[in-house]
Amino acid sequence: MSKSGSLYIERESLFHGLDGSIKLLMLIAWTGFAFAFMDARVFLGMILVGLGILKLSKLPAKAIWPLFAFIFVFTLFNSIFLLLITPEYGSKLAGSYTGIVTLGFYSITLETIFYCITLSLKYIAIMPITILFIFTTHPSNFASSLNRIGVPYRVAYAVNIALRYIPDVKTEVDNIINAQEARGVAFRKGDAGLATRLKNYATVMVPLLLSSFNRIEVVSNAMDLRGFGKSKRRTWYHRKNYTGMDLAFAALSFAVLAAGVAIKIMVGSVYWYPFSL
Amino acid sequence: MNGISGFFQSVVSREGIIAVVVAVVLSIVIALLNKKKGRHMSTKTVVAIGVGAALYAALSAISIPVGPNTSFRIAIALLPIFGAFFGPTAGFLIGFIGHALNDAFMYGNVWWSWVFLSAMMGLFGGFVCFDKKFDPLNGICTKVHIGLMYLWSIIGMFVGSVIAYLGDVYLYSEPTEKLFVQITLANISNLVVIAVIGIPAVILIAKSKAKNQGLKKDL
Repeated sequence: MSKSGSLYIERESLFHGLDGSIKLLMLIAWTGFAFAFMDARVFLGMILVGLGILKLSKLPAKAIWPLFAFIFVFTLFNSIFLLLITPEYGSKLAGSYTGIVTLGFYSITLETIFYCITLSLKYIAIMPITILFIFTTHPSNFASSLNRIGVPYRVAYAVNIALRYIPDVKTEVDNIINAQEARGVAFRKGDAGLATRLKNYATVMVPLLLSSFNRIEVVSNAMDLRGFGKSKRRTWYHRKNYTGMDLAFAALSFAVLAAGVAIKIMVGSVYWYPFSL
Repeated sequence: MNGISGFFQSVVSREGIIAVVVAVVLSIVIALLNKKKGRHMSTKTVVAIGVGAALYAALSAISIPVGPNTSFRIAIALLPIFGAFFGPTAGFLIGFIGHALNDAFMYGNVWWSWVFLSAMMGLFGGFVCFDKKFDPLNGICTKVHIGLMYLWSIIGMFVGSVIAYLGDVYLYSEPTEKLFVQITLANISNLVVIAVIGIPAVILIAKSKAKNQGLKKDL
């Protein structure tokens, strides 16, 4: 993570050239579209398109793969958990019953495994555009793009402040924990029991809060002196006019979102299962 | 097959309506809160939201796992704390922005339904500020206020859980039995974090800010 607290990677590509607000719109449309379905074919298609988009954006694979690795581990745990707790849920959805493993009254069905795969694909399908947004949007563009799609500028500015202070606050947390550890307060596994460790974190919280309140005081005074919040509207240094490409992608996003909502209303959330009789 | 899809359609529409109603009620509550004040957020609130969300994201790195995809997150303690010091709007936005940013940057994927659990805990944690006398930064925090903080936190958790549940079932299509387990585990660990770290921190800060602690009038 860079000093600015964002993951932005500078490249020359179609998606770097798009306005941040358009990419945010694409993110919303893409997520909304994925929410409308429970169909492995759709998710596979979305993953392929998403990977194509990531390829076009020329982001280095090294930056992206840890996130994909994480989602694989996450969905794996999620699936194991699902199989443990609801081993027959998929059969209820699909309407057929094909047992594979049976241990007394507990049995895993083929349908549930297929359901877990569909759900995992859904989580993965939502990912590419989120990655695109956070890796190709310059942090200075972040707040202005939020403001442009209708978030009040004070809230958008708060997001900007959050991004700016994440690295500073992280350093501060580390410093306080190190200082307390030097005094013999246990934070690590094996040094003390769970309850004690948890209680010890209270000794981090109070100094952290007091220094943060000081920081809030200083920053808000500085902003007040510069007249923040005086006018109803605000202009942004990094804002550019929309280009033709921006408008094209905006139209595409609206179309996708409308299609998703229409399908959800007309057909409902239909679960696709290929092997049913 | 037809019967099953029909069954699911009816469930989706009924629960879909409930979800929409919950969202509308919440936005009305938030709009009323803003209108009641009759003015915009102060600069201090804006900065508090920013720094609070940064703290939330930074502290999210510290977690002690207790179950499948569930853990003690120290960051949760920030929500009632910032709610108590800066009001419900700040609490709501800290939960929302902090959780969404952290999810996006750590995992490249935002769990929107669980973002609302955090946001609701911040919002309800801030309701203790309705009592105008409550002023922890000047050392005013009575036993009644402490009780209220616990009460609002629990209500916030409950409302947030309902939203997380509806969101996970109708947007992410997770099965309900699994969510009961996850939400129960998450709420227990959140409650412990709030009871052990969150509210005691407010009390400690209020105590340290109390005026005229050691001074007595000389007669």
